[in-house]
Amino acid sequence: MAKVIIYPTNSLILSDLVERFGHKPLAMMEKIKEKVATVGVDSPPLNITAEEPKNGLKYAAVEVPAGVRGRMAIVGPMVDDAEAGIIVSESPMAFGCMGCARTNELTKFLIRDRGIPLLELDFPKDDDEGQEFVYKIADFLKSLPDGEAEA
Amino acid sequence: MKNESAVKVALVSCGSEYAGVHGELEEVARSVDAKLIFPEVDINILDDIGRDFGLEAASPDLRLMMARAKSVVEGITNVDGVFITSCFRCAEAAIVRNEVRRYIHKHSDIPVISYSFTERTTAATLMTRMEALTTIARRRHLLAREHQNGLTAGIDSGSTTTKAVVMRDDKIIGSGWVPTIKVIDSATEAYNKALEDAGVKAEDIQALGTTGYGRFLVGEHFNAQLIQEEITVNSKGAVYLADAQQGAATVIDIGGMDNKAISIQDGIPGMFTMGGICAGASGRFLDMTSKRLGVDITELGALAVKGMQDKVDMNSYCIVFGIQSLVNSLAKGSTQEDVAAAACHSVVEQIFEQQLQEVDVKEPLILVGGSSLIEGVPKALSELLNIKVIVPPNSHLIGAVGSALLASGYVEE
Amino acid sequence: MPDNEDDVITKLVVLGSDSVLPIDAALKIYESKTGIVIKETCFGTMVTGSRADVNQVVKEVVALDKNHIFVKERGFPPGDDRRCRASRGGGTRPGFYFMQEEAGMLPIIGKALDNYEKGLPAKEVERKKRMKVSQLKDIIESTS
Repeated sequence: MAKVIIYPTNSLILSDLVERFGHKPLAMMEKIKEKVATVGVDSPPLNITAEEPKNGLKYAAVEVPAGVRGRMAIVGPMVDDAEAGIIVSESPMAFGCMGCARTNELTKFLIRDRGIPLLELDFPKDDDEGQEFVYKIADFLKSLPDGEAEA
Repeated sequence: MKNESAVKVALVSCGSEYAGVHGELEEVARSVDAKLIFPEVDINILDDIGRDFGLEAASPDLRLMMARAKSVVEGITNVDGVFITSCFRCAEAAIVRNEVRRYIHKHSDIPVISYSFTERTTAATLMTRMEALTTIARRRHLLAREHQNGLTAGIDSGSTTTKAVVMRDDKIIGSGWVPTIKVIDSATEAYNKALEDAGVKAEDIQALGTTGYGRFLVGEHFNAQLIQEEITVNSKGAVYLADAQQGAATVIDIGGMDNKAISIQDGIPGMFTMGGICAGASGRFLDMTSKRLGVDITELGALAVKGMQDKVDMNSYCIVFGIQSLVNSLAKGSTQEDVAAAACHSVVEQIFEQQLQEVDVKEPLILVGGSSLIEGVPKALSELLNIKVIVPPNSHLIGAVGSALLASGYVEE
Repeated sequence: MPDNEDDVITKLVVLGSDSVLPIDAALKIYESKTGIVIKETCFGTMVTGSRADVNQVVKEVVALDKNHIFVKERGFPPGDDRRCRASRGGGTRPGFYFMQEEAGMLPIIGKALDNYEKGLPAKEVERKKRMKVSQLKDIIESTS
């Protein structure tokens, strides 16, 4: 089972497909869960305090806006942890954790820069593109170490 | 103030939740009895909001800011004020933040503040701004007051100086101006001077207002009827003294420690910004300059108007390095006049670069605060903006006059 | 860090199915373990409970129509005050819009998964390329 970082990091479709084909998706939702479930930190809504932008300095310099560094404090460790990645471009707009174009640029760069097995494609617009999309992702996931055939 | 209902402030932001400042925003809102709300947006408009609004920002959250602003302007979300905020150093957000602010200002009379934060921004930093925003929402009737009636007084407890005035029926009949050492002691001294000057007793004063950094302490000590932050008070004082109570006006207040730029319509602030990060953009810079020149601060202005700032090389606005440049220039043979002029330009230029970008400058431009008395400052500002700068009489007493004026709203009550 | 089976998690089960209705999915969940809390939303069902329980229940629901039911974990538990529309003074939560867009794509994805399962060969998708300047020039000349 490989840990696969998905981009957009909050995608239902990608998270589902990665798990469906026997791997572990590294997605934003679990990270947010860790944050919001942290006992004793009271900085609603996400419990992101001034510490996160500081932790984000590992991924971006101090001249990079605090909101980018705060997001990177969550996304960055996922990128570090990933053994493979799927980047899907031309996504519909996503807000919140995916709402900052500058963070998204940096996230994609860092995934590419890792040199891990990587699949890049676009979100499908019709049935034919959808088929290509799913087939490519399925084949990619099966090619990863310990990838399971679809259950 | 506790009995008034919470003011609804729309939070129009792209990343406060991720930058570690959201808790601070919530806290400052709570402290002024305001509630931050996220304007309702029909998600179907989000596809086209970039083109609709005209600004196709790459960041979805910035498009959401436009959609939220639209929701506020169109009355889909009912709010009393808008707080627009984004990350410091983000160019894309700065463009959107400015245009969204202009858009709301143009299409509604809802007061707006705009702020760029870092992860170090605290509730305390935002306090005066948020207090002003809620005041404008809550006390429009009070701010609409154009005349001072009865016998009232105002105390402006500033970071550098404490000012007091006594007024009767639209006339300043006594004033006091002392350096701020201990807040209460200095306020007492200034107030006593003003009372003595006016020839009245404290017990005759029908209503008292306080403003400035020490407003809470002083207001409580003297049992003031009105305790109010300096943005609304100074706006009111400025248009009152400059006789520009109706229509548009811009107020620039260069205080001892910070400065404000306020865009006003009919005496009520619409947009405003506050400095306070750099002493190089404050009266303190001029104070330091006069000490290095060995002249009294009151003489600096007269020197400056005779000087040519171009003859002095300044490579920093910083109160340490900038003043070092001035000292070096003196050593190289620059005249005191040129150095004084350069100091005035330095302060004004930094205000221009950091703050005047955040408000729309509309004439008349009214310059107030202690620094306005240094003639080189209005001259430099006028040269920089290429418009006439008005320094109203008693411009240094602005906060105290504004307080006395607004406090007279309590005389009839 | 290994997943802790006792962790309380929330999963969102989204239906892109013609044959399984939300009510079928809900009933399936109701009839299973007791430690599960569910909440129905516009797109499907949120299931909250211990990781082991949630995974088990979700597996059963997905089995109803596996290529057309999709699952992702969710950061906030359902109705969390910090994300709730009512306590935020209006405004949808940030993830809603993207979720709606993705939900709209599910029929396409589901159909493709069916085909993949059947072993149908991949189709070559031809994408429109940008027109050559010479072609554009021809068009301009032919219309002038």
